[in-house]
Amino acid sequence: MAAKIMVEQLSFSLGGRELLHDISMEVEENIVCAVTGPSGSGKTTFLSLLNRLSEEEEGGEVCGRIRMVLDGKLADIHRHWNLSMLRRKVAMVFQNPDPLPMSIRRNIAFPLRLRGWKRGRIAERTEEVLRMAYLYDEVKGRLNTDARHLSGGQQQRLCIARALAGDPEILLLDEPTSSLDSEAAGKIETLIEELGKDRTVILVSHHEAQIKRVASRVWRMEDGKLSVVE
Amino acid sequence: MRRFTELLLVIFSWLALLVFAASFLSLFVVLLLRVRGLDTVSLFFGDTPPLDALLHGLPVFDGIYPALLGTVSVVTVAVLCAVLPGVFTGIYLAEFAGPWAHRIVNLLVDVLTGLPSIVVGLAGFSFMVLLHNLFPGAPGPCMAWSALALGFLVLPYLVRTTETALQGIPAELRRTAPALGATKVQNIFFVLLPFRAKDLLGGVILATGRAAEDTAVIMLTGVVASAPGMHSLFKQFEALPFYIYYMSSQYRDLAELQYGFGASVTLLLLCGLFFAAAFLLQSYVSFRFRGSSWLQK
Repeated sequence: MAAKIMVEQLSFSLGGRELLHDISMEVEENIVCAVTGPSGSGKTTFLSLLNRLSEEEEGGEVCGRIRMVLDGKLADIHRHWNLSMLRRKVAMVFQNPDPLPMSIRRNIAFPLRLRGWKRGRIAERTEEVLRMAYLYDEVKGRLNTDARHLSGGQQQRLCIARALAGDPEILLLDEPTSSLDSEAAGKIETLIEELGKDRTVILVSHHEAQIKRVASRVWRMEDGKLSVVE
Repeated sequence: MRRFTELLLVIFSWLALLVFAASFLSLFVVLLLRVRGLDTVSLFFGDTPPLDALLHGLPVFDGIYPALLGTVSVVTVAVLCAVLPGVFTGIYLAEFAGPWAHRIVNLLVDVLTGLPSIVVGLAGFSFMVLLHNLFPGAPGPCMAWSALALGFLVLPYLVRTTETALQGIPAELRRTAPALGATKVQNIFFVLLPFRAKDLLGGVILATGRAAEDTAVIMLTGVVASAPGMHSLFKQFEALPFYIYYMSSQYRDLAELQYGFGASVTLLLLCGLFFAAAFLLQSYVSFRFRGSSWLQK
């Protein structure tokens, strides 16, 4: 399989402290791979470097190179992509569900309006991604209600649907089931497996069993160093 | 000992509330007693027929109608002038300013907050004289100068409210829109500011109240005791705070003093009306953001 993401000798320091050290890895396209490891080992930091969200914090210093195949071209994400465009191609879902303080419909529409989509097209896409996230049947009668009134599992699936709305090529999931019960987590696992069929998904997770179920490749992060798990 | 301290705290809190409520009520009772028996129509329009004053712009010489109109106009223009610079300075402080710029702008805003209004009025007056000397055609004391000076006076309220509102936004919400591809400016205008619209309107309410009650600033820049004719931005005008000050210090008989009290009640009611309107707007904005706004257009 062709490589989608190439990380070469990546190090990251924040406030003079090195959080990630000399990381190199290659991720193929259309697979689900996982990064595991103890809390505070740098998994989330690593993930946020892949769509440059780490740059929202001041004082971060990146060494090394991250290249990705986006829009069919291999390019350095720091040199050839501006932040907005990169984040539309490499979407991220966080550990705790973070619906925007607006209706369910508007949450999905938000990234699409940023791209200048028209209303009719947004409505179609909203239904499509809510179905992909197995959420449509649960919320179809209340799309205009505040998204924060959904349950935790529904909120997380809404966040995944929102991330999928712009059809990203790479999806970064930061412990998406950690705050959910087993039933909601199960639904999200099924969703992750489905998503891995036509895009690259990088999943950060603590749950060994979950990783075994959904991931084709696994890395372990310890003290800012990444190693392959056989 | 700890329980005794807690009990004392509760008692003091209740006492403070009682003192506050009693002061508020006594103020109203005193004012209402002083205006008892006052003819409302003659308070507002004097000898002029109300319909002629309202519809045909007939000058009102003895009533507070011109002062009421002047206050509403000058406060509206002042707040409109101050909203954009105030909100944008607040955004700059909360989102863009580096440590040094933050310190300097903060200091300036603090100084402006503590500036007595008479000093702002005097500065406005001096600026007006300077401009008049440089450009002899420039307008003299008028509503526009008063509104600008009042706008300057209320600017720090708007800056502080905007800054505090933005700084209080949780980090999780801050990063959500950027993670979806929004630029910093899009994040501020489409997510952060609408999320805090209620607080921003709170700042506008504060600024409106402050502008409506100030006398010193307008006294030096454009207000007069009698301006019965048509209103214009470039003419001198009447205003309720100055009318109250003038009547209470220069009254010739008790009837005139009663007019002063009548104007006080009117000013209080006007402020109440401003606040009620802002409250309704707050609820509306908050509802709009939850339900449907720019994304649905």
